[in-house]
Amino acid sequence: MTEITHNTTMMEKGDSLWDKAWYKFKHDNMGKTGAFIVFIYLIVALGVWFGFWGGTWSDTSDQLWQGPSMQNWFGTNVIGQDVFTRAIYSTKVAFEVGFIVALLSTALGAVLGAISGYFSGSWIDSVILWLMGVLDSIPFYLFVAAVAFALKDNPFAMHIAMISTFWTITSRVVRGEVIKLKGQEFVEAAHAIGVSQNKIIFKHIMPNTSHILLVQSTIAFVAAIKSEVILSFLGLGVKDGVSWGLMISESTQDVLAGHFNNFASSSAFLFILVIAFNMFSDSMQDALDPKKVG
Amino acid sequence: MDILKFALRKLAGGVPLILGVTFISFLLMIYFGPDLTWDKLGKNPTALEIQEVRHELGYDQPFLQRYGTYLKELVTFDFGNSQVVDKKVSTILKETMPVSLHLIIPGFILGNVIAIALALFAAYHRGSWIDKLIMTGSVIGMSISFLIVIIFFQLLFCSSYGLDMFPVRGWEVYDSEDNIIWYQYLRYVTVPTLATVFVALGYNTRFYRAVLVEEMTKDHVRTAKAFGHTPTSLLFKGVLKNAMVPIITRIMFSIPLVVVSGSLLIESYFGIPGVGKVTFDAIIAGDQNILKAIVGLTAVLFVVVLLLTDILYRVFDPRVELK
Repeated sequence: MTEITHNTTMMEKGDSLWDKAWYKFKHDNMGKTGAFIVFIYLIVALGVWFGFWGGTWSDTSDQLWQGPSMQNWFGTNVIGQDVFTRAIYSTKVAFEVGFIVALLSTALGAVLGAISGYFSGSWIDSVILWLMGVLDSIPFYLFVAAVAFALKDNPFAMHIAMISTFWTITSRVVRGEVIKLKGQEFVEAAHAIGVSQNKIIFKHIMPNTSHILLVQSTIAFVAAIKSEVILSFLGLGVKDGVSWGLMISESTQDVLAGHFNNFASSSAFLFILVIAFNMFSDSMQDALDPKKVG
Repeated sequence: MDILKFALRKLAGGVPLILGVTFISFLLMIYFGPDLTWDKLGKNPTALEIQEVRHELGYDQPFLQRYGTYLKELVTFDFGNSQVVDKKVSTILKETMPVSLHLIIPGFILGNVIAIALALFAAYHRGSWIDKLIMTGSVIGMSISFLIVIIFFQLLFCSSYGLDMFPVRGWEVYDSEDNIIWYQYLRYVTVPTLATVFVALGYNTRFYRAVLVEEMTKDHVRTAKAFGHTPTSLLFKGVLKNAMVPIITRIMFSIPLVVVSGSLLIESYFGIPGVGKVTFDAIIAGDQNILKAIVGLTAVLFVVVLLLTDILYRVFDPRVELK
């Protein structure tokens, strides 16, 4: 299967799409900076996961509304919790949401998009297209609320709602690409030697959409993190624990009283991660766009 | 005549979409949704009382019949009373719809017009520092959460920690006869509009620039340039008009979602009594009748938008046939 992927992309200059992409990415400073920052965040998140730091996020103290100091780098909040620790711990929460949603929504979009593209024009395609149209027409916040109702406040209601709406974007892109691919010789050849339909779709065609999937998953990751913040603020997202969204939600009270620590640190953590991810994602899009070869 | 036939066929084609949206939301929100029986009952209800309330709410009917009732409500635009406020759902919507429209329209128009202008500018100076500046700005705009922008702008413009020029929240812009007081309107609408425009600019500029750059690299533009057309006529006639199809698609399809989702956050944060706030309150309180109405109407709006988009394509591109 890898031979086939390579053969189709290697035809021109003997370099695969991935080799060229890697070469371009290495020379893209914006992209490298973005990737580096995301990597630091990832280490922070993993550190929280393995319990190296951030474990004391819920500890209270009698130091209320403190400004930045050596003990509390970003100050403390209304009940004396260390804002820095809370922001660090929230990194893990954000990565959890981002990874789960990006992985599953991209996978779902890839499978359904490939099926609907391969059978384009048939009833299967119509059903999938209809489903995408329907999911795109339900207002997002209402859909999240509806899923939360139906799942009786399951903590994963937010994730499930995001996965079931985000896949449509990936699916549309993959569908278009698969329609293009299925007319190519390698698919014809596979047909001719009697490869089964499932194998053609999932082993021959789908690997050729992997560059799209990589880019789409980074977009889904960013969208998930940003949605988490707004949903948690509206009371539809993270309910137990702490997240940047909950911190911002708390801080709406703080800012009116003139305490900006909480707001500033959660916003800054969120903003830096999202912009770094956007830079990384843009640079991957440029690098992996076969139209821009050369 | 052709247009009418086309419109009717398009609307009929939208029926499966409306059925799908209403079915999924009915299933999730109402059928598996919160059971309102106990909210309506007093303490220690008898079995008979429970049954009466369940009958009143329609819980004892089979699934398809309940879904059918919902569709009938959607067609007749009669969703009954709100389950929280003692008002008809249609009256609530009639009162709040104008507020939402007044709130959204300036930001929506500005967000798109300014974005197209910036995108034209960036695309024309492609590769130069102006282009890079505009694109960097739009990535920054894309990366800031809408929520943060709202809080920050409120702090900056409305609080004593900032400029303190505008009211913090509320919407007191109508006089006793429901006419708009323009001075008040400007006072209340400015900060929400600035926030919407700021966020919209990031995404829109990027999208429009990509569309325009693609159009700009085409042969007819090169030819026009060679013939010595001025940049203005080149940009507006050669590029913008040809790029209208994707631009219209984007603008039109953002309408239904902007009306509900976009205003939800702004209205609940600024305490503006529009459709978004009604939706948010209904979500929190589990007011199913209002939610049913809003989901159903959004789906209808989507179908209407699909239709209008197709007709608009025809206006800008005579090659498109209304089939």
